[in-house]
Amino acid sequence: MTAITLEDNTFDDPTRRAPLVLGEADFASVTRRVCQITERPRPPAAWYAALAASVALAGCLLAGIVCMIVTGVGVLGNNSPVFWGFDITNFVFWIGIGHAGTLISAILFLFRQRWRTSVNRLAEAMTVFAVVCAGVFPAVHVGRIWVLYWVAPYPNQMALWPNFRSPLLWDVVAVSTYGTVSVLFWYLGMIPDLATLRDRATTRWRQLLYGLFALGWRGSASQWHHFEWAYLLLAALATPLVLSVHSVVSFDFAVSQLPGWHTTIFPPYFVAGAIFSGCAMVVTLAVPARAYFGLERLITLRHLDNLNKLILATSLLVGYAYAVEVFMAWYGGNPYEAFTLANRALGPYAWAYWLMLGCNVAVPQLFWLKKCRTTPWMMIIVALLVNVGMWLERFVIIVTSLSRDFLPSAWGIFKPTVVDVMMLSGSFGLFFTLFLLFCRYLPMVAMAEVKTVLPSNPQSPVSAETR
Amino acid sequence: MSHTDRKSDAPPGTLRVAGILAEFDGPVALKAAAAGVREAGYTVFEAYSPFPVHGLHAATQRVPGRRRTLLPWLVLGGGIAGGLGALLLQWWTNALDYPYRISGKPLFSLPANIPITFELIILLSALAAFAGGLMLSGLPELFHPLFACARFRRVTTDAFFLAIEASDPQFDETAAAVLLRSLGARQTEVYCQPETQRRLPGVLVAAAVILVPLLLLPPLWIAKVRYARKASPRIHLITDMDFQPKYLPQQSSPVSLFADGRAMRPPVAGTVAVDQPLEADHFLRGETGGKPATTFPVPVTAALMQRGRQRYDIYCATCHGLAGDGDGITSQLAVEREEPKWVRPLSLHNQSVRDQPVGQLFKTVSQGVRTMPGYGSQIPVEDRWAILLYVRALQRTRTATIRDVPQEKRKYLELTGPADAEKPATKP
Amino acid sequence: MPRNPLRNLDQDRTTLSGVPRAVAPALAVGGGVALAVAFALAWSRDASLRDFSASYLISFCFFLSISLGALLFVALQHLVRAGWSVTVRRLAELLAANVSCLAILFLPILVPLLVGRSGLYEWSDPEAVAADKLLEAKAAYLNVPFFAIRAGVYFLVWGLLGRFFLVQSSRQDDSGDPGLTRRMERASAATLILFALTVTFASFDWLMSLEPAWFSTIFGLYFFSGAVVAFFAALILLALGLQAGGWLTSSITTEHYHELGKLLLGFIIFWGYMAFSQYMLIWYANLPEESVWYLARQTGPWTWLSVGLLFGHLLIPFFGLLSREVKRRRILLGGWAAWMLVVHWIDLYWLVMPTFAPEHLPFGLIDVCCIIGVGCLFLAGLLGVARGRALVPLKDPRLHESLVFENS
Repeated sequence: MTAITLEDNTFDDPTRRAPLVLGEADFASVTRRVCQITERPRPPAAWYAALAASVALAGCLLAGIVCMIVTGVGVLGNNSPVFWGFDITNFVFWIGIGHAGTLISAILFLFRQRWRTSVNRLAEAMTVFAVVCAGVFPAVHVGRIWVLYWVAPYPNQMALWPNFRSPLLWDVVAVSTYGTVSVLFWYLGMIPDLATLRDRATTRWRQLLYGLFALGWRGSASQWHHFEWAYLLLAALATPLVLSVHSVVSFDFAVSQLPGWHTTIFPPYFVAGAIFSGCAMVVTLAVPARAYFGLERLITLRHLDNLNKLILATSLLVGYAYAVEVFMAWYGGNPYEAFTLANRALGPYAWAYWLMLGCNVAVPQLFWLKKCRTTPWMMIIVALLVNVGMWLERFVIIVTSLSRDFLPSAWGIFKPTVVDVMMLSGSFGLFFTLFLLFCRYLPMVAMAEVKTVLPSNPQSPVSAETR
Repeated sequence: MSHTDRKSDAPPGTLRVAGILAEFDGPVALKAAAAGVREAGYTVFEAYSPFPVHGLHAATQRVPGRRRTLLPWLVLGGGIAGGLGALLLQWWTNALDYPYRISGKPLFSLPANIPITFELIILLSALAAFAGGLMLSGLPELFHPLFACARFRRVTTDAFFLAIEASDPQFDETAAAVLLRSLGARQTEVYCQPETQRRLPGVLVAAAVILVPLLLLPPLWIAKVRYARKASPRIHLITDMDFQPKYLPQQSSPVSLFADGRAMRPPVAGTVAVDQPLEADHFLRGETGGKPATTFPVPVTAALMQRGRQRYDIYCATCHGLAGDGDGITSQLAVEREEPKWVRPLSLHNQSVRDQPVGQLFKTVSQGVRTMPGYGSQIPVEDRWAILLYVRALQRTRTATIRDVPQEKRKYLELTGPADAEKPATKP
Repeated sequence: MPRNPLRNLDQDRTTLSGVPRAVAPALAVGGGVALAVAFALAWSRDASLRDFSASYLISFCFFLSISLGALLFVALQHLVRAGWSVTVRRLAELLAANVSCLAILFLPILVPLLVGRSGLYEWSDPEAVAADKLLEAKAAYLNVPFFAIRAGVYFLVWGLLGRFFLVQSSRQDDSGDPGLTRRMERASAATLILFALTVTFASFDWLMSLEPAWFSTIFGLYFFSGAVVAFFAALILLALGLQAGGWLTSSITTEHYHELGKLLLGFIIFWGYMAFSQYMLIWYANLPEESVWYLARQTGPWTWLSVGLLFGHLLIPFFGLLSREVKRRRILLGGWAAWMLVVHWIDLYWLVMPTFAPEHLPFGLIDVCCIIGVGCLFLAGLLGVARGRALVPLKDPRLHESLVFENS
């Protein structure tokens, strides 16, 4: 990592738009910079070290899953009354992280935020891998995973159908839809860049594999025309999808009658929290990636600044939801609701609650300071703490409400087991393994999209707007 | 700018010209050139760029500026199909085919069906957008003559091209080259149709040829196993609790709890099988030698008769009347109300009833006859014989004469009874 | 695309100097008369203020929601440094600053409460509070003095913020100082935080507490979503109206209308999302303390209004505004904007009225007079705020970007 001095594009001057690609960049240099990550004979040594660590952790996940299938669900800490523990916490956590990718790809595309072009490929990949990690948990926590196909509506000799009125089924459909649409969106956007790799390929195998997945893309005007339309339509579809998926996940809790779970603000609150944790994960991935792969000219400090502003904004939304919940616990006059909130703050899991508030509401306020928003090491610390806080938020919601609900005689404490911890840390291993492989073999930055916002591109809207 | 036309790699004269390719400096030049080519009357040409150029597609169209595309309609179609399909699925499965109530929700719970409906609208719309986008772009199209041009490889990096295809009606190599150069082309090149149709590499084809049949094997095997007849039990992968570590009846246990090595004890002495012939047929069924019994299997005593009277008054008198004439209170009420289905019970003093052997009467009491229900489940066997004894006594009351009364009781009757002691008390 | 859009702008009529001075006071008087008529009609019916208060509350919230939506829009556009919206932003600033007029219009709700004669809020009646344990428990929040103080705080905050953005932006018309844009951008974040809190609690106070036993944590967001829809519809109609009158003919283009149409559609979907979340969660858990509010809106004639709201506020306008062509044709877009304003009023009617009229749908002259009354006064206020100011931020640094803006 050599220190590079680039021009500062985080300025606030309203009279001109900041350049989104720094240095003297033209189409060829951008292409070269991104493609050489996959073309160089050996990735940086740090990549190997990271991959080894990730694969080892992913092995933990596999071991945990095998243990669960062979022995039974009892190897987890779940027990009466806390029937959902780390398993569902991890599921909601990973699905939430995936949402920022779709936000950056789709929602920011619809709002014409051109800066998204440098990070959207990375973010979309993060979404796909996060959904994979998320999907592991509901699949294994059912107990008899070998009959998991029973959730599908197929004609069977028992003449049974799944109960579509249940939020658990809604989850199945929503997460599958989300996974499918995310993969489609990610892949569609990658087709022109895969064609770039195909055309630059030096070996027959590279040409073959990239060529197969590039589907023969030639970049003709009519192909671009239909591509842009398909991309726009997928973005327009992905936007309500991202709002709905985490809302459906929040319905798992909110349709119940449990105090602390049943509250109408859950859908938008969960979506805001999802975008919050997802943006933090994008920052966590983007900062080392740009350093190790030499992408500082493409993923500039302005991009990170904008992501951090999103983190700050969503942290305030999450804080708003906390405040409204607290107010309504008193205003509603429901003693169980009031108790639940008091229990969160003062009960056996109070440490988790206050740590969560600290990480989710207090720490991101550092991003009011521009210095904090534009210094890589500071933003990584904030982003990591945000992810810790968001995991704890799901933990607090699930475990505190379950451990102490209406009848004191039914109260109980949840203690995670070794398998719980192995699966949680293993899921990070799976995520980073997939991400590292993505970095090595697929185009990390959307080259075709970045070229449209290059200052040297006469058609770039960014260059046209500077006076 | 070099003006030399350069042909592709193959020897001249063996290939068919597919078109002419021209390279331009940048997006603006390309757009202008496209407009110029269209104005010159060419219709079959394409412009190529490494990123979408604003206004380029419109410039290549015959009627510039129209942004027609089928894609939004395909997506709308997909969305409608997804929405209707989802609603139909949820309604049919949960409200029609196997309806069951859960937590008090209506069978067709529209608010609860909305999330899945919404997701499936998005899923099918997205699939339509993706597939439609690829299809309308002509993808996948792995082989194209332009891929043979080495220069064309830069199209995905930083080069801008325009290609006029030979299938255009006014295509002429030299005229086209002149036009393109006049529009600002940096280089022009004629490209050719390849002599053989390019195929996928043999390795991939071989792999596909081998893999596809192999992938078909498991479902075919499963189908065979499901539908063919077999003598051996099916493969049972997930056994759950089907094979439990417990002893079944009639098994022997290797580690025996009992001296005789059995896992169960033999039945207790006196156990009777369900369909075993009964030794006590006379008592339990009123049969002797397969025919209705004519005698009582129990000792006839005054106590038994009193018991019989008491039991008769409870069970039988409501229909048959206290004296057995068939005028019990139930019968009276039914006749009063003109119940259409009521059949007045036969008087017990009727000759036909008196002629029946007692075993047949026992069967009547136990199992019922015609419209009379059986009382076998309510009256224990002993009591049934008691009742029958009383019935016989009632019958005797109508047929007895003074000579049937024991000597020591006659004097009592002569003092209190009717004058004519030789005749039976009432008419039959 | 005009070669030099700024030059065309100089030829646009950008101030309301052509409008006679008498219009605003005439509107004010007309509005006052309409309100008096409504008041008299209600009083003559049963000598209580209830009917009038309920109708007035609905119309008041309707126009308030337009101003609040405008304030959000202005702050948000500054926060994200939007370039496309500059030409319409001044109109939004005017609508936002008009909230001070609404502060005065709040008095017919506040004054009856202060003198103890309001029929609107059950919790303001000491006898009712004494008889109900739940109301007693909430009395620390739901009491008249605290209510009044809170209302004062809301209007103070909204008034100051609305005025701030209008004044800074107007100042830039003369100086062209980009530092003013920076100042507004810096203020916009705090504005949004204050906005979120005040709008949430205002909706709790004025609308949710009509049914004091009921509560819903998403209510503030529900009201907010309706307010943004109403604002976009109102802005579209305002822009169309001004252009029909000859103002801003070249500065607000089809591209801007297209963008506003897209945003209108987006927030209609957002409203649907809020409405569905609230409904489905309460329906599914079926807890009596929550479902009572929806039961009132699913009984008798209110059922039809609820279904009508679902179709009229969400499904029909969704399909109507989906097409690109519709959003680019001013007459069609204007039609849909007018439709959305009507259904937004119906939405507020549906929020307020079932508490007072569970058996039937009361709609009559009182409601019409209240709409006209509050509307005229609102317009009079708007004219007053716009007096002497340009209708476009003439020297905004991003004005050029806005004038050449093209929807891809």
